[in-house]
Amino acid sequence: MKPPAFKYVAAGSVEEATARLAEYGDDARPIAGGQSLVPMMNFRLVSPAVLVDIRRIAPPDAIEEADGHVRVGALTRHRALETSPLVRERFPVLAAAMGHVAHLAIRNRGTIGGSLCHADPAAELPALAVLLDARIHTASCSGERIVEAGSFFEGALWTALEDGEIVTRIDFPLLRPGTGWGFREFARRHGDFALAGAAATVTGSAGRAVEVRIALFGVGETPVRATAAEALLTGTGLEPDAVAAAVDALRNAIDPDDDLHASAEYRRHLAGVMAERALGDAWARVGAGAGGGAA
Amino acid sequence: MSKNTPAGMAEAPRPGIVGARVQRREDPRLLTGRGSYTDDRKAAGAVHVAFCRSDRAHARIAGIDIAEAQQAPGVLGVFTAADIDAVARPIRATSNMPDYRATEFVPLARGKVRHVGEPVAAVVAENRYLAEDAAALVSVDYDPLPDAADPEAALEDRVLLHEEAGTNLIAAREFARGDVDAVMADAALVVEDRFRIRRKTPAAIENRCYLAEFDAGRQALTLHGTTQVPGLLRDALAEIFDLPGHRLRVVAPDVGGGFGAKASLYPEEVVVCALAMRLGRPVKWTGDRMEDLTATSQAFDEIVRAKLAFDADGRFLALEADVIGDIGAYSIYPWTASLEPVQVVSFLPGPYRIANYRGRVRAVATSKAPTGPYRGVGRPVSTFVMERLVDMAARRLDMDPAELRVRNLVRDEEFPYKSGSGIVWDRAGFQDCLRVTLDRFGYAERRAEQAAARERGRLVGIGIASYAELTGIGSRISAAPGMPINTGTERATIEIDSTGAVTAAFGIASHGQGLETTLAQIVAEELGVRVEDVGIVHGDSAAVAHSTGTYASRSTVLAGGAATLSARSLRAQVVKAASHLLEAAETDIEMRDGVVSVAGTDASITLRELARAFYTEMRRIPKEARESLDLSASATYDPFFGTTTAATHIAEVEIDPQTFGVAVRRYVVAEDCGRIVNPMIVDGQVHGGVAQGIGAALLEEVVHDDSGQLLTGSFVDYVVPSAAEIPDIDAAHLDTESPSTLGGYRGMGEGGTIGAPAAVANAVADALSGMDIQINELPVTPERLFRLIRPDL
Ligand SMILES: Cc1cc2nc3c(=O)[nH]c(=O)nc-3n(C[C@H](O)[C@H](O)[C@H](O)COP(=O)(O)OP(=O)(O)OC[C@H]3O[C@@H](n4cnc5c(N)ncnc54)[C@H](O)[C@@H]3O)c2cc1C
Repeated sequence: MKPPAFKYVAAGSVEEATARLAEYGDDARPIAGGQSLVPMMNFRLVSPAVLVDIRRIAPPDAIEEADGHVRVGALTRHRALETSPLVRERFPVLAAAMGHVAHLAIRNRGTIGGSLCHADPAAELPALAVLLDARIHTASCSGERIVEAGSFFEGALWTALEDGEIVTRIDFPLLRPGTGWGFREFARRHGDFALAGAAATVTGSAGRAVEVRIALFGVGETPVRATAAEALLTGTGLEPDAVAAAVDALRNAIDPDDDLHASAEYRRHLAGVMAERALGDAWARVGAGAGGGAA
Repeated sequence: MSKNTPAGMAEAPRPGIVGARVQRREDPRLLTGRGSYTDDRKAAGAVHVAFCRSDRAHARIAGIDIAEAQQAPGVLGVFTAADIDAVARPIRATSNMPDYRATEFVPLARGKVRHVGEPVAAVVAENRYLAEDAAALVSVDYDPLPDAADPEAALEDRVLLHEEAGTNLIAAREFARGDVDAVMADAALVVEDRFRIRRKTPAAIENRCYLAEFDAGRQALTLHGTTQVPGLLRDALAEIFDLPGHRLRVVAPDVGGGFGAKASLYPEEVVVCALAMRLGRPVKWTGDRMEDLTATSQAFDEIVRAKLAFDADGRFLALEADVIGDIGAYSIYPWTASLEPVQVVSFLPGPYRIANYRGRVRAVATSKAPTGPYRGVGRPVSTFVMERLVDMAARRLDMDPAELRVRNLVRDEEFPYKSGSGIVWDRAGFQDCLRVTLDRFGYAERRAEQAAARERGRLVGIGIASYAELTGIGSRISAAPGMPINTGTERATIEIDSTGAVTAAFGIASHGQGLETTLAQIVAEELGVRVEDVGIVHGDSAAVAHSTGTYASRSTVLAGGAATLSARSLRAQVVKAASHLLEAAETDIEMRDGVVSVAGTDASITLRELARAFYTEMRRIPKEARESLDLSASATYDPFFGTTTAATHIAEVEIDPQTFGVAVRRYVVAEDCGRIVNPMIVDGQVHGGVAQGIGAALLEEVVHDDSGQLLTGSFVDYVVPSAAEIPDIDAAHLDTESPSTLGGYRGMGEGGTIGAPAAVANAVADALSGMDIQINELPVTPERLFRLIRPDL
């Protein structure tokens, strides 16, 4: 479990990073916290000839509110997102989810950009990005672009990033007032990747759900929005029947894989349980007025 | 002091060092990163090995192309079977057990591979990185052989793993007492099932690591390594390399856990020694976790069909079991493949009174990593099976499972009790352990709480497990069935040197158990010095003339016995010397805290002064007297039979009715481990053992596909418990001296792992008792529970 030899270059700016990546092409990989890349290199699953260290291309842990968004720099570490007062106030669901990512030591090194780009189907952050309709900012030698989270994740460990392109920032549009949230996952051990998980936000008004969002993870190649279930619940008071129908719909809409830890059937079942619980939490928070955003 | 006390000894006041919660002397170094493990050892000019390992479970080697690897940067050589076999004599794990077939020990694969991870070639390079690069260039041409992974299919011998054996059935044995068939046929009530604990791996925190150094000038070989058995290894390597013991030394420095997995001879150990001699440079191999999960000896893996007959009052009448042990590809040296499966049937009747018993076992070779000793050997499985049967019987009788145990556990007045398999239990608190556990747990109250929780739809369960084991086994019994190696004695040498320091040397090898502290306490108490005055040497084959090492809950009993005997004779010598120096009768000499004094006077001398007088100030003790004195004493202790250790565990679990996740909420153990040397260390052993047992019950499973391909090659897939999954554990100790061992100690290092799988399994079964399902397979993962509870989905 030792990686083959590689060359290491540290970039001091976004321009330098993208220039280096362009220069070395396919042989190069950016490295941020190294929490996913280094294990893969040690297993010799990937063997980049050049590592471009991007940790110094921007100040670390940059989190700020501007233009109706919370903007998070790509080099923000999981732990910073988990503990940021701004995130806790605006997106308690995000802060709560980060508490489920691995262990403290890993959260202290792993970055938001790294988690999005690694694109593990069971990872929390990609699911939250999809839930919250985040906008992912990227840069490369050919310029900058913004990719909607919903179209960023293309497959397991596969994203919409082009060669030589890096993530620089992710913007979370603020939630509407009266939005409650829920986050639930089931893992065999504390800190493990979830067998299945669900995050939900519900915006309530006069006892009705006016907007429902549900994101599932660990249930397929990418995190997914349960759009059919969302539609079924919108306009309801999340009565048990309505929730049961929505859970059925989302179970039917997903296509989980079998693996060593869980069969497809069990994952499908779990996804429903997690979604039901997350929705219940979200709805209770709407009622309690203790939701996210400006609730 | 009474006149008839010999040499002022027997009435030496007990300073109470034995029994005290002495801080582990190992902890400051181990907890602050100052331990010295094998991999920390830097040998000048050392080269590093990476093994090219089989990625096939069963295949013939048609050819190995090493040319490209040999040319790779930094490579000193690439070696295959012929290179090692040229210098290493063959060795095999033998046994005089009838129906045992010894098979070859294979340092590097000869002609065929028998499991994924088997070493095929050794690449030596200037560092491990280059060695791995080159290992990737070795190309092995395999001709696939038919699958041989399923133990039940392997019994049919259609595909042979070891052609020389002529069968895959490597060992078979049967224990029988009474007319089991007749009793079974007549019995009013019978419960039976097919049980299985899935293959486990010990997963010590430190992977295996070996460093061999050959001193060409002295023609002497030294192996530093992660081993529990330096003495045993020295003896094996002496045979393999035909070296006398004074030119062959095996040292186990700090070792990060073993759990039995570091108690056998490994191919990698032979290979690094052979290559160090061949290359004339120190050769190191540091195993990584993937290698640990593929090539370190594994645990359990038995299929047990078992049946218990009892009468309407719950009296056990007969027990019957048929065990198939999946031993993997090789019979591990020296324990043999029969070690684990045979002990399942020898311990199956447990601490119960059962007149009629028949246990049959077949150990079958399959294309998986070998199984070997693992904490508890045989007993985790036998206890799981027996305790499940007991709970199933209680359910059938509609009787409280605690009450059923009270009725059947051997009672105090019945000891010594001979079990159906022939094991003799000396006096131990079988009933007491149960009583104390129930008490500490608050059994009646918890049952009431459970009933209330159930009313609300919660799945709460309580599970009990009682067991008994043999520990501190002496020379009369072999630690492994029929093995021609003495595991029943230990030797100690205690010396007072010219600075007055006390050094006690042992052949055992502490690898996390705190034996440096435990043994120092025993020596200090017996000798009359302070604990900190005693230096402990262990883990070194050069320390004593003969030893095997640390395994099988033996070290406190055996090394502690040897320490006691040698400390006593050393003390007698000190008393003699002091009587000259202090001009007093031997019977008036006392020794406490390292100060020797004359009773009732203020005449005294420190050990340091005494040593100086003895070794340096040659006029102080007359020559003749001095020559009959020796400030060094050695002794060998043999408990002959060994002793009984017993415990009862009780677990409370709650199962999430939707996710099927199992949480262990409460855990209580009461253990009779005899006279306790250090309660803090004993607690720690119980806690760690229970944690491992919870792992076996809920999480850990080595998984192969049908062809024998390993699917759990990292800690992502092989799931060990972390602190978050382990509840607080309340451990109670019955302090009852064993009648059978010197000092009254009983061994206790393995108990936690033995009781926990059964207790958790019973608790899970109890939680689900409202449903028509059986808990007969561990680990009870959420996936397994999902399949049991929701077969409709
Ligand atoms: C034991 C363990 C448990 C874990 N458990 C979890 C868990 O429960 N949930 C979870 O979500 N994750 C988990 N992880 C994974 C880990 O938290 C994240 O994947 C990791 O933090 C990613 O961030 P990083 O900065 O370390 O990325 P790196 O490892 O440095 O990089 C990961 C990948 O992203 C690329 N990359 C990194 N930054 C950028 C960028 N800005 N632009 C473009 N590409 C980039 C790299 O080239 C690489 O391909 C676990 C990891 C370990 C070791």
